[in-house]
Amino acid sequence: MDTSNRKDRGSTGPWHGTDTTPIALLETIRRRGRVWEELAAQYGVRNPDPPWKITLDATCDMLAAESCVVPYDQVEPGSCALPSLERRAEEDDLSETIYADVPFPERQLLALAHSMIKRGLFKEEELAQRMKQVHERLTSA
Amino acid sequence: MSDKHKPQPMVDEISDFEVLETAVRELAIEKGLFSAEDHRRWTEYVHTLGPVPAARLVAKAWLDPEYKKLAVKDGVKASLAVGVDWINSPPTGFGTPSDYCNLRVLEDTPKLKHVVVCTLCSCYPRPILGQSPEWYRTPNYRRRLVRWPRQVLAEFGLQLPPDVEIRVADSNQKTRYIVLPVRPAGTEGWTEDQLAEIVTRDCLIGVAVPKPGVTTNEKRPVRPAVHPVHHDH
Repeated sequence: MDTSNRKDRGSTGPWHGTDTTPIALLETIRRRGRVWEELAAQYGVRNPDPPWKITLDATCDMLAAESCVVPYDQVEPGSCALPSLERRAEEDDLSETIYADVPFPERQLLALAHSMIKRGLFKEEELAQRMKQVHERLTSA
Repeated sequence: MSDKHKPQPMVDEISDFEVLETAVRELAIEKGLFSAEDHRRWTEYVHTLGPVPAARLVAKAWLDPEYKKLAVKDGVKASLAVGVDWINSPPTGFGTPSDYCNLRVLEDTPKLKHVVVCTLCSCYPRPILGQSPEWYRTPNYRRRLVRWPRQVLAEFGLQLPPDVEIRVADSNQKTRYIVLPVRPAGTEGWTEDQLAEIVTRDCLIGVAVPKPGVTTNEKRPVRPAVHPVHHDH
């Protein structure tokens, strides 16, 4: 395969492929989290997507910046936090391995968090702490 | 309260996934990866997107031969007539006339069927067609469509005679596609609104053809790939 126009030149440095080693926090969510198709069925909601899907997509777009619309080999180094093509390739790999049993879009979300932790954009512990805070806030009313 | 104004049912439960999405977004903002304001503006923009403008473009093209010529020649210009400005609408400045804004409208004929894919990832003409469906994103669809287009279309319920040529258009960051299907029989005298109703998202991707009476997409099972992806690059 000709890889000259693909993932050998990432805007955040060379891309070394997907690290599919599980992350404990995300494994817990994978096992314990209730997915939208279950919740929607239980509560009689017909919307096919969870309400957070659109903000998730926006987060992916924001992280990708111009790499959404510029060929991979023309993405300026450092111009985005997570190039679109790398994120999607990692989502593919993770969706067919450690998150294979998770439906969409929950696996898109797990894959994004996975990619961000593996790239050091934030730490697993930071995410766990923030999730605790968010949960307390959302359930405090 | 009348039935008309009855609130839609809500999911009265905070899931771990909802919490995770919020936490990821907040951390990204806190780390300076993007601003809260940019995220809000982009989310509001994405909220406005859907397949209706593309369906209307097709309906207009069916009714107006001059507009059809314009659509096939210059999809970006033709989009303006259905309220989509590829150059100025996206609020973040993504895209310029030379890259993102290259919409191609692929005209089917009775002997030629187009179908759209993105073999690399899931590039999709979102400004005019909204978010891509799950199956469009899967490696299963992306890899197999280019190898066995006729068979894959048959799996979608679209059986094409052997004398119909199939062309697969591979999207990329620069160029996005929609299909302009053949106007079906039985729609003579229909208005633009009536015609637009039968141009579903799947027709615009090319995995279905418009039929009088069919106004929704079939629910598609998503199958995992038999051979997992190995990105060797």
